[in-house]
Amino acid sequence: MARPAISIQSLVKFYRRFKALDRVTFEVGEGDFFGFLGPNGAGKTTTISAVTGLANYQDGKVEVFGYDVRRDYRQTRALIGLVPQEFNFDPFLSAEQILVFEAGYFGFSPREAKKRAAELLDSFDLSKKRKEGYKRLSGGMKRRLLIARALMHRPKILILDEPTAGVDLELRHRLWEFLRRLNREGITIFLTTHYIEEAEKLCSRIGVIHEGRIIALDPTETLIRKMTADRVELSLKKPLLQLPAELAALDVELKDGGAKIQFEEREGMIQKVLRALYEKGIEIERIDVRRPTLEDAFLKLTKKSPIEIKS
Amino acid sequence: MRSLIGFRTLVWREIYRFFSVFTQTITPPLVSSFLYIFIFGFSLGQRIEEVHGVPYLTFLIPGLLMMYVIEGSYSNTSSSLFISRWANNIEELLVTPLSYFEMVLAILIGGLARSLVTSTGVYLVSLFFVCFPIAHPAVVIFFLIFVSLVFSSVGMIVALFAEEFEHLSLCTTFVITPLIFFGGVFHSIEMVPAAIKWLTFFNPMFYMINGLRYGMLGVSDTPIFLSAAIVLALFLLLFSLTVYLFRVGFKLRK
Repeated sequence: MARPAISIQSLVKFYRRFKALDRVTFEVGEGDFFGFLGPNGAGKTTTISAVTGLANYQDGKVEVFGYDVRRDYRQTRALIGLVPQEFNFDPFLSAEQILVFEAGYFGFSPREAKKRAAELLDSFDLSKKRKEGYKRLSGGMKRRLLIARALMHRPKILILDEPTAGVDLELRHRLWEFLRRLNREGITIFLTTHYIEEAEKLCSRIGVIHEGRIIALDPTETLIRKMTADRVELSLKKPLLQLPAELAALDVELKDGGAKIQFEEREGMIQKVLRALYEKGIEIERIDVRRPTLEDAFLKLTKKSPIEIKS
Repeated sequence: MRSLIGFRTLVWREIYRFFSVFTQTITPPLVSSFLYIFIFGFSLGQRIEEVHGVPYLTFLIPGLLMMYVIEGSYSNTSSSLFISRWANNIEELLVTPLSYFEMVLAILIGGLARSLVTSTGVYLVSLFFVCFPIAHPAVVIFFLIFVSLVFSSVGMIVALFAEEFEHLSLCTTFVITPLIFFGGVFHSIEMVPAAIKWLTFFNPMFYMINGLRYGMLGVSDTPIFLSAAIVLALFLLLFSLTVYLFRVGFKLRK
C-alpha cells in the first residue's frame, strides 16, 4: 500500500457509557478508493467525525498524512474535504456564496475563490442556480453542492458519508463517474455507503465495521473471494421429495419444492454433486452459476438480513 | 497570510449575516431609541431637574447607547452561533483550518461590528433632540469596544449552553434587561433608595453605563478606572472561557 493518507490506530470512542468505537485500526493509502461499510449505527460516521475533528475520542491516534488530527488540526483539516451525510449549509447564503465563503475559510483570496466557485458550479451543473439559497435547490442539487463545497479548497482526501443516499439513479451514476475521475487525478477517496453495489463498483479496498469493530479489511476482490464462493443452482427435470442420503451429506439444499438443488462451489463440490445425481439417475434441466457479490460477503460478515442492511 | 484570509472571511460572514437581516437587527434599535428619547428624555425629562449638573435628556443618552451596545452584541453572537448549531452549519466551520482562537475572535468581531453600527445609529437619532461635545472620546471608544466584546462573549457562551431558541431570550428577559435597567440607564445611583443602593455595586452594567457616561459627559457615579478595570477583567475572563469551550468542543463536537 502507498504511504498512508489516513492512519487510525486503536481508536476508542464512547458516547456516555456506549462504546461506539472499540480499538478501530486501519489505514487508507494515498490514492486509494476506500469503501467503509457497516450496518446502521456500526460506527462509520463516528470514525469519519474523529478523522475530520467533529468528534472527540477517548483513546487512540488518528493521523492524516503523518499529522495528528488533534495536535496538528489546522494542517489535517486543510488536507481533507468532507461531504457530510446531512445538508449543513449556511441558511443565510446563496449557492455561490456558500462556495466562496468556504474557499475563504481555507485561505483562498476572494478572486481565487470566485474563480474556483464558477468552475465547480459549472462542473456540477449548478451555474443557473448560483444566486439561489440552498433551500430553493432540489435534493440532487443540494447533494451536488455539498460535494462542490468539499472540493473548493482542492483537498488531497475526499471523505464522503453516504453521498448517494436518496439520489436518483442517473445522478448516482454521474456522481460515480465524477468520483472515479477525481480518484484517477490522485485524490484519495474515503466513501461510506449503504449501497453495497456502489462500493463494489467503485472501491479498490473495503473496510467493514460492525458494532464499533473492524471485522474485515481487504482489497474488494479478495474480500469477496475470501468470504464467499460461486453459488450453483441445478434445476431438475422432476422435483425430488427429499434429498438422497449421498447428497444430504454434501451440504446441499433442496429449493422450490424440490425442483432445484443449490450449493456453494468449494473444493470440487460440483463434481461430487453431479456424480451423485448421475448415480441416482436424477436428470438435470439447467445449470446456473451465480458469482458472489460484495453484498454476500457483507451479509456473511455482519450476519444481518438484507432488509436490515438496506433500510 | 492564508490564515488571515480565513479569519477575515469569517468576520465578513458574520457582518454579512446581520446586514442581510437588517430589518431585524439594525432598524428596531433605531425606532425604539427614538421612542425612548422622545418619551422619556424629551417629554418626561423636561419635568426632571438636572442630574450631576447635566440636563436629564443629555444624561439619558449614554445609558441608552450602552443598552443598545449590550443588546446588539449579545443578540448578534447568540443568534449567529445558535442558528449555526441548530442548522448544523457550525460543522462547516469546524472542519476548516481556522484555529479556535480565530473562530471565536471573528464571531466576537461580528458582534462588535453590529453594536458599533447600532450605537452609531442611535447616536445619530439622539442628535435630533440634543447635541453636546464628547468629553473623553478615547474613553467612549474603549467602553464601546470592550463592553461589546464582553457581551459578544456572553452571547456565544449562552448559545453553546442553549438547547432551544427560547433559552436565548430567557437570558435577555430575566438577566440582561433587568441588570441594564437597574444599572442606571435612566437614573443616577443617587436616586436609588438607600436600603438597596449597595446592590447596585454588584451589577456589572452599572460600571459599564457609568464608564460610557463619563466618556461622553465627564460625569459618573463611580471612578472611571474601576469601571475600566471591571470591563477589561470581564472581557479577559469571558473571552478565555469562550475559546476554552471551543477548544474542548463543548456542545460542538460529538
